[in-house]
Amino acid sequence: MKRTFQCIIYSVCIGKYIPSMGDVARTLLQRTLRKIPTVKLEETLKKWAHLSRRQQQSVNYTQSKWILHENIVSLCEENGLTTRHVSELEMIYCMENPNLGTWRACHLTDADEDATSVELLSFKEQFKSHLAELIRNVSIKIKKHDNGSVWIRIAWGDNFSKPNHFKPTYVVHDLQTPYVFISNLKSKHKPLLYQGLVLATKHGSIKDAHLSGRSLHAVRDLLMGHYQQSFPTNHLRPLQERNPPITHPNIEKEHKEHAEKRLQVAYEAFGEGDIPKLETATYTLETRFRGGGGMDTLSDGEKPFRTVVQFASTSLLESLRHCVSSGIAEAPVSPLLSSITQKGRNYFVITDKADKGHNATTQNSRAKV
Amino acid sequence: MDRRSAVNTSVTHHTTHRRSKSYGRTFDATSRFCYTPGQLTITRIPTSREAAKAHKITEKVDPEQVALLVKNEWKLSYVTPLYQFRYTLLNVYAKHLSAFLVAEKQQGTAVEVGLETGFKVTFSTVLGMVETKDDAETVFIQIHSKPVFASAGDTPRVVWSGWLTCINGDPEYLQSLPPEFVSLPLFCTSGTESLTFLVKLWFERTFDCSFGSLSLDPNDLQWLAALWTGCHSDNNIRSLKLAWTLPAQPPLDVSLTVNGQDAWDLWEKVRPGDRADDSVSIEEVKCFITGIESHFFRHFKIHLSAGVLKKVSTALGSVHLDGKIKITCSDYMITVMTLLTECAILKMPTI
Repeated sequence: MKRTFQCIIYSVCIGKYIPSMGDVARTLLQRTLRKIPTVKLEETLKKWAHLSRRQQQSVNYTQSKWILHENIVSLCEENGLTTRHVSELEMIYCMENPNLGTWRACHLTDADEDATSVELLSFKEQFKSHLAELIRNVSIKIKKHDNGSVWIRIAWGDNFSKPNHFKPTYVVHDLQTPYVFISNLKSKHKPLLYQGLVLATKHGSIKDAHLSGRSLHAVRDLLMGHYQQSFPTNHLRPLQERNPPITHPNIEKEHKEHAEKRLQVAYEAFGEGDIPKLETATYTLETRFRGGGGMDTLSDGEKPFRTVVQFASTSLLESLRHCVSSGIAEAPVSPLLSSITQKGRNYFVITDKADKGHNATTQNSRAKV
Repeated sequence: MDRRSAVNTSVTHHTTHRRSKSYGRTFDATSRFCYTPGQLTITRIPTSREAAKAHKITEKVDPEQVALLVKNEWKLSYVTPLYQFRYTLLNVYAKHLSAFLVAEKQQGTAVEVGLETGFKVTFSTVLGMVETKDDAETVFIQIHSKPVFASAGDTPRVVWSGWLTCINGDPEYLQSLPPEFVSLPLFCTSGTESLTFLVKLWFERTFDCSFGSLSLDPNDLQWLAALWTGCHSDNNIRSLKLAWTLPAQPPLDVSLTVNGQDAWDLWEKVRPGDRADDSVSIEEVKCFITGIESHFFRHFKIHLSAGVLKKVSTALGSVHLDGKIKITCSDYMITVMTLLTECAILKMPTI
C-alpha cells in the first residue's frame, strides 16, 4: 500500500506515466533482494544488466538494507521490469550460491546413439516444448553457467493458476554427463520433469541416484569423483612421503605403524584432504539377526530384523574417515560405508544374500526403485 | 563440604539429623546400599526391576490432569526435601509466587522482554498418583500470563508448567526424614529457562531446599528401552529408536530405528519363556542392548561403545540423556516415574 502511494506521488510530481510492476514481480524482487547479502548485491545487479549504468551507480550500498532495497525496487519500477526479469535476477544469484535446501541426484540411462551430440540450443528447444506440452502455465528459464553446466528454473502452475514463482524448481545438468541434480521438486511434478528431461537429452529413462545433500558442489563432486582419492599402491609408505610427521627425538609412538595403516585405509575408503560435504546416510537393513550379546540367531531365523540406520554429521565423510583412522571403526572398512564413495550414493537398502547355505555374513546392496 | 553441588546447601541441624538416621547403616553388609569412597552420593545399583505393567492411571487420577502430564517434554531436576511445605496452603503459595515473579521481572533480572507483566499462578495436587504410603502427593504448578491489555474474553495463556512428584520412593530414605520435611525429589519443568530459574529461586527461599539438574546416565536409558519394548504385546511401540553420538571429528550421530515387532521378538529371546515373577534383571537389559549393538557392528564394523547413548524413543515415550522425558502413553507413567524418582533420590547431595 505504502509503495503504490509513493509511486503515485512520484508520478504526480514529475508528471510522467510510470508503468508499475505487478505485485508478484515486486514481492519476488523484495524476497530475492533480502536473500542476497549486501556484499554480493552490486556484482549480482551488474551481471543482471537490467539497470542502466547510471542507475547502478546511483545506488548507495552503505544505506540500511530496507532503504537500499526500496531504492532498487523503485529503479526497477522505472524500467518497467516484470516477473520474467526478476526471476532472472534470482536465478543469477542461485547459480553462484546454490543454497536451495536439499539437492537430489538422478541418473539418465539407456542413451540413444545421438545422445552425446545433444547441444545447448537443441536441449533448450526440446525441453521447453516437451514440458509445455505436458503442462499448461509453466514458466521455464534456461541458462548456461560459466563452468559449462546447464541450469533450468521452473515455476509450476496448472490448468487454473499461473506459475508460482515463489517456489521454483531448479535443475542442473552437465550435457555430456548422465547426471541431473534437482532441488525443490514436488512429487506431483516429478513425472513431468522426468519426462521432459528424458526426451530432451535423448535417453531412455531416468532414475533416482539415491544421493542427496545440501551442497550442490559436494553432491556433484562425490558423484563424479572430483576429490582427492587415494588408491592402494605398491609403494610402501606413500602417505608418510607426502606428509612427513614432526617427530621429537625423545618420543617414540608404540602404535605408529598401526596408526599409519589405519590412516591409509581411511584415506582409501573416503579420500584425502577436503572431501565432499554430505550430511546424512541412510541404510534400511532387512537382514537377519545372527546373534550377539550372548544370543544365538533368533528362533525364527528366516525373518529379517528390520532396522533403519541413519548417520548424521555436519560433514559425514570426514566423520567416517576419522572413525576409521582413530579405531572407532574397524579396518577393513565395511563395504556398506565405503559404498558411499565407491558408488556415489547415500541411501541403501541392504538384504541378505539369497544363498541360504552361506554361513558368512555377506550382504548385497540392492537399489530401491 | 559438598564439592559437587552447584548450589550451597544451607547447613542446618536438620541435615545432620537426617544423615545420622538413614546412613548410619551404610556399612551394613546386608543392606543393598554401598558407599563408594570418593563419591558424594550413595549409589545403589538396582539389579532388577518390575516389568512395566500397564496401569490404567486414568482410573485413579483425573484424566484432565493426566492429559497435562503427557502433553509436554519435561526437563528434569532433583530437589532436596522441602521444609514445612503444607498442602493446605497451596493458594497462598500461588499468590506469593506470582508476586515474586512480578517483582523479579520489574527488577530486570528476568531475561525475556514481553508484553506480559502479570502472572497468574496455580498450584494444584494431582491426587491418586502415589503408590506407597510414604510417597507425598504430586504437586502441579502452572503459570499463566496475563497480558497488560487483556480483553474480557481472553483466556490466559500457559507459559510455564512444572510438577513435583515422588513415586515409589525408597521407603528407608523417606521414613528417615524428620516430620517437618516433605520429600518430592523429582521436579519436571516445561517452559522458558528464565521462568524455571525464578520458580526454583522462590522454592529455595521459601522451603530451604536446593535444586540440581538431573542428568541421566546411559544405564537408565537402557532400562527404559528394555521396559518399553517389553510392553509391545500390550501397547504397540511401533519402533524402538536408539541414538548414539560418536566422538569423531566432526561428531557423528548414529540412530537405529528397530521395527517394534522385531525388537519385541529379540527381547522375548533374551528373557526365557514364562517367568513366575515379573522382574527384569540388568543382565537381560545389557544382553538386549548388546545384541542390537552387535547387529550394527556386523554391518558397519563401528563400535557403538565408543560413543554415548543419548536418546531412546518409542511410541510410548522418549527420554534424553540431558534429563528430558516425554511420556506419550499414560499407562506406563508409574513405571517411568518410579525409575526417575529413584534417579533423583540417588543424585541428591547428601553430605
